[in-house]
Amino acid sequence: MAALGACGIAVIALRARESPFAAWVLTDVFAPERVLPQIGLGAACALVGARAFGATLLLYGAGIVAGFVGQDWLLWALYNIPEGPTHLFLTGPISYLAIGLALVPGTRLLPWLLPMAALVAGAMLALAIFLTDPSLHAAAFIGTPVLTAFWIVAAVSLTLRAFRRGWFPIFGRILGSWLLAIGLLYGGASLMPRLKPPPPPTDTSHETARSPEPNRTIPGLPEPPPGLFPGGEQPKQP
Amino acid sequence: MRQVPQRYVTGLLGLAIGVGLGLLPESAAAHIIQGAQGGFGSGFAHPLTGPDHFLAMFAVGLWGAQMGGRQVWTLPVTFPLIMVIGGVAGMIGLPLPAVEIGIALSIMALGLAIALAWRPAEWVALILIAYFALCHGYAHGAELPLSADPADYAIGFVLATGMIHLFGIGVGLALHKPVGGRLARGLGALIGIGGIYFLVPALLAA
Repeated sequence: MAALGACGIAVIALRARESPFAAWVLTDVFAPERVLPQIGLGAACALVGARAFGATLLLYGAGIVAGFVGQDWLLWALYNIPEGPTHLFLTGPISYLAIGLALVPGTRLLPWLLPMAALVAGAMLALAIFLTDPSLHAAAFIGTPVLTAFWIVAAVSLTLRAFRRGWFPIFGRILGSWLLAIGLLYGGASLMPRLKPPPPPTDTSHETARSPEPNRTIPGLPEPPPGLFPGGEQPKQP
Repeated sequence: MRQVPQRYVTGLLGLAIGVGLGLLPESAAAHIIQGAQGGFGSGFAHPLTGPDHFLAMFAVGLWGAQMGGRQVWTLPVTFPLIMVIGGVAGMIGLPLPAVEIGIALSIMALGLAIALAWRPAEWVALILIAYFALCHGYAHGAELPLSADPADYAIGFVLATGMIHLFGIGVGLALHKPVGGRLARGLGALIGIGGIYFLVPALLAA
């Protein structure tokens, strides 16, 4: 399944120059900020039992549906976050925080926390899809990100389940802390007003950088006509 | 090898941190890059290409693996979470004196702790790690609002940091048993020397 998907991504990458849709899939659907919570969710799914895994996938789907159906209410709820409307209503940071908070406490609480985190992440994914959709809600632009999200979660989860090791729960906590840190930094950076970078340094050491002096006359040449230098002094004879 | 008495190690580390906290004025500008940064690639490359950050993150993983038990994960989990607090402080421009010296001290102190196979109480290790994480986070946070894409910069930066932690844990676990753990301690000594290399110019610039 992972290999098939990887082949699909390769095909999309090859077609990205010709097809705007393929280019959009590469730049938006596979953007790091969109993919990483899905990888985290997949990794978390590998740490829980089959029942919790199923519940998580179910609630992820329910969250996506809820996000599409209740997008007006969600947008209204997230509208008052400062700088939120200009940063996709912070859908990315909220997804990171939800999944990170589920992973950090460890595998004992994970089966309970993960389905709730999946619900939140699903709703945020639906909002992000709605907000970044360049078409007028064409089916391909809605369906592709949803299918891709499920593919990433399932591929990561099933691959890790197949190679499960004793240290995976430790890695799960560490991954959770990364997601929390990214969510907080990402959210913090989004909430911060963008500072203007300092102007580039200017070099005034060269003669050529100076503006010409209007009063300069060259010895041996005739005097310039009066009024040639408006507002300035008439050139003086050397 | 004979273990060094713990009170000496604690005293040395306390002295080193005291110097960093108390004596020195602001010198963060030496580390904080002025100007616009890039996105994911720039954030990912920064900890990997900056030897000071690389050594500190590597040492965090190595020390946690050397101590064993819960510390294998509590140290690398604590570091990025506290680093965020430093990052936010840097973003909003809160003054944090002697950041550069704190970064250099973090390398030296962690190297020393590994070289001496110091196993303090968990809360002591976490407080140390938290202070070092604040310094590292502050330096990066100050750069974040200027970056072309702060979100992607943050993602790349945290991912690279975490991967260096994992690398340190892996090396620490691999070197834990051979030659009685002396290889890890030797590596810690080298890291400590690296810390001195960064500390001297930071002190001179202060």
